[in-house]
Amino acid sequence: MTTEGMLTSSSLKNPWGRTLYSLKRTWYKFSRNWLSVLGLVIVVTIVFLAVFAPYVAPYPQHAGKFVDFKGKNQPPSWQHLMGTDTIGRDILSRIIFAFRNALLMAIVVLAVSVPLGTLTGLTAGYYSGTWTDTVIMRVTDVFISIPPIILALSIAAVLKPTLMNSMIAVTVSWWPWYTRMTYSLASSIKNEYYVQAAELTGASKIYILFHEILPNCSSSLFTKMALDVGWVTLVGAALSFVGLGEQPPKPALGTMIAEGVERMPAQWWIALFPALAIMFVVLGFNLFGDGIRDALSPEEA
Amino acid sequence: MPDVMDINNNILVAENLVKHFPINQSGIFKKKWIAVKAVDGINFSVKQGECFGLVGESGSGKSTTAYMTVGMYAPTSGSLVFKGEDIARPAVKRPMHLKKDIQIVFQDPGSSLNPMRNIQNILEMPLRVHNMIKKGNSIEKKVIDLLDRVELPSHYRFKSPITLGGGERQMVAIARALATKPSFMVLDEPTSALDVSVQGKIINRLIRLQKEFGLTYLFITHDLSLMRNVATRIAIMYLGKIAEFASANEFFQKPLHPYTQMLLSSIPILFEEEAKLKPNKIHSVGEIPSPVDVPPGCSFNTRCPFKTDICFVEDPVMREIEPEHYARCHNI
Amino acid sequence: MSETLLDIKNLHVWFKVYGGVLKVLNGVNFNVKFGEKVGLVGEAGCGKTTTMKALLRVLPNLALIPEGDIFVRGKNILKLNSRELADLRGRGLSMIFQDPTSALNPVFTIGQQLYDIIKYSAGSSGQKVANKKNVALSALHEARLPDPERMLDSYPIQLSGGMRQRVCIASAIATARDLLIADEPTTNLDVTIQDQVLRLIGDLVEKKGASLILITHSLGLAREITERVYVMYAGNMIEMAATSLLFKKPFHPYTQGLLASVPRLSGGGFAEGIPGRIPDYRNPPPGCRFEPRCQYAFEPCSKAMPPYIDVGDGHQVACYLYQNGQEDRKNA
Repeated sequence: MTTEGMLTSSSLKNPWGRTLYSLKRTWYKFSRNWLSVLGLVIVVTIVFLAVFAPYVAPYPQHAGKFVDFKGKNQPPSWQHLMGTDTIGRDILSRIIFAFRNALLMAIVVLAVSVPLGTLTGLTAGYYSGTWTDTVIMRVTDVFISIPPIILALSIAAVLKPTLMNSMIAVTVSWWPWYTRMTYSLASSIKNEYYVQAAELTGASKIYILFHEILPNCSSSLFTKMALDVGWVTLVGAALSFVGLGEQPPKPALGTMIAEGVERMPAQWWIALFPALAIMFVVLGFNLFGDGIRDALSPEEA
Repeated sequence: MPDVMDINNNILVAENLVKHFPINQSGIFKKKWIAVKAVDGINFSVKQGECFGLVGESGSGKSTTAYMTVGMYAPTSGSLVFKGEDIARPAVKRPMHLKKDIQIVFQDPGSSLNPMRNIQNILEMPLRVHNMIKKGNSIEKKVIDLLDRVELPSHYRFKSPITLGGGERQMVAIARALATKPSFMVLDEPTSALDVSVQGKIINRLIRLQKEFGLTYLFITHDLSLMRNVATRIAIMYLGKIAEFASANEFFQKPLHPYTQMLLSSIPILFEEEAKLKPNKIHSVGEIPSPVDVPPGCSFNTRCPFKTDICFVEDPVMREIEPEHYARCHNI
Repeated sequence: MSETLLDIKNLHVWFKVYGGVLKVLNGVNFNVKFGEKVGLVGEAGCGKTTTMKALLRVLPNLALIPEGDIFVRGKNILKLNSRELADLRGRGLSMIFQDPTSALNPVFTIGQQLYDIIKYSAGSSGQKVANKKNVALSALHEARLPDPERMLDSYPIQLSGGMRQRVCIASAIATARDLLIADEPTTNLDVTIQDQVLRLIGDLVEKKGASLILITHSLGLAREITERVYVMYAGNMIEMAATSLLFKKPFHPYTQGLLASVPRLSGGGFAEGIPGRIPDYRNPPPGCRFEPRCQYAFEPCSKAMPPYIDVGDGHQVACYLYQNGQEDRKNA
């Protein structure tokens, strides 16, 4: 185990030595709380299931067009660990495939929201007090005030309800939160002496934004991103619950709950397991996000 | 650009330098702005190659003066001339060669170095900004060279500032300032945040560097014992104005202004021999007035033990009491 | 006045961190008699704040005390439960912190904060304080604050740094009966105000007959109002003497180095300070913790921590140089 005392000049010079040391140290900070490790396990499980769904799900074909009216509404058993739904499809397999859509939505939404929100927030925060700030933040305010579900409904009314359209709807209402967060971080960081030092030496604004200010936002950003995967999944489930998003027969967590709600409480498993699955995702990413926050927090020497 | 100094070899000249910060105290119906008179008309000059000391307590305006020199603030009025060039504007409006030539070392090394970057990046920044990397010389070599100049080992460039001690961080801050080969450095309380056992090392290094590179220093501190051993000429500021200005020896051996005497008499000293060098104890009575609410007449009249009637009416003017020894007081 | 109020015996404090354990306190011995004013001098990272936190039992969760005892009025407080502890804290000890701005809650008035403190300090003893306002007013008056009535309704932000610190002193004095701990009480204040505040602390402590522990890194301040001084380095008290004796003739090489590093009012430049850094607490030197930096180190120094050696008049030094038969070493 490397300790600060053992971090000699020679191990510092080796780039792999440095990376290894900082990885070990980050893991130490992360793993101090067993709940974070639990979160990590859940996240890894979900990602694994999503990636390898066709190979892991017991009945992969149930995720597509499949009916088996003889085997419908079966309670949980050894053949179907979570039972079957109203047209005989294995719920466990469908949940595993539904994870795919959930993660895909989260990735797409974040891949657009994070760069867009961070860029606007950094710029507005650095120029806070000027017109740039005002313009950017008021535009952000407009977007924040749009409720995602209403927007999704409107888009669906004009275009077809698809996964892509619901992703667009969620993204449009998601990026402003990154702007807000980065804005408040940037406007306080810009007053730090190290930023002043860079300005006084004549560094360009781009340099200051990306090399001085942004690194200090990274811990908050990564934490929020981890938590957001869970929240986007929840919003996505809400959308598919009302019929937007991924259309049947493709599996979506919200849709599965919607189908099962009518059958409560007699065939309780049809709605319960997808709901538990959503809880599993949100909880896992929340705990993981907490761990990320601990791991990225700067430690005293 | 050739170095343009005047006949007195002055590298920096300030005349009637003023900096007021407006504070908005408007109510709903009344508009009201008051000014924080941080610097209220000062005149000084710094000779090339010297270490000019600026002393004062909080609210005196010494840091504001330093920041105006470096370009963090623009003066409200007055002139500030560096090597014959007018620098009375903020750094964003200054040409690059000025930003290269005037550098600052801040007081708190903990916040003047970005904790999320390593030393290599921190030292590379000024080199890249001013295109100081010649072809053939790798930038890494230049960074090692800088670390060497401040006597830090070369492997420190991989470390992050959090892992360094206060003294070492300040050495990195100094190395960063030296990177652009400046001719003028502002040192804003460079050792106030550090332990006394490290202070000597840093100051000695600064003095060595000054000789080696022909630097001029504007040294700011509230610690008079420190100033005694560092500065060649000293100005003491109170509430935005210079109260006394003299060579270091004169300043300490014959303090003329009552504020200087009060300050000198309050220094805690360690050795009996030192006690004799202090003026007799002048106990400070009352608080330092706020720079928003400067009393009329001489601004020191709330605390001066020697005040007379005229002190409440008229603000004294800086006079040369003895050769090269100036003070602002009615009663000298 | 020869009874001991506070006696810390052989205190060890460790912190669990990444890569091992920080063995910060290494057998600290520290005592304060009733009515005595003791100084604790040491630089950043030497463990003085940790010692005080251990005394007040406010160490963070990852701290452990593998060895050692702390006796207050004869009771071992490391073995008390939380109710008995609250009793002790409210009635006996109070503390003044370094930064008065963060010690006062900005959203409450001075009066509200003082009332709270007065109420809680008396509460555990079962008595109700009849007239909190009078107690508060008299405390403010004793702290030499102008216009105490108006002060009660003011918010901390309306006061200057010196006044805030005096409010903290007032609140500490109002409730202190036996011991006042002042942790760098004047570091953030101007020199002329420092003097006032320090004198105030000394006078009030004497008036109440309480004891004082003054923690500081400034030797000069310790010299001003203490009767006895401890010098701390890297988790050990390495020297202890009556104040006048210590400054006249320091014995430990660290103390000597420290005193030599202080800039003199007589000029003469700077000593190089003490070479090296404080040890890494994860891997501290097995013997005397100052040994790696000590120019006089010889064989026993790296083997075990030196014992306290009495060099006369109650002056104690933890250094092998002063063991019998070794006196010549220093001159060699």
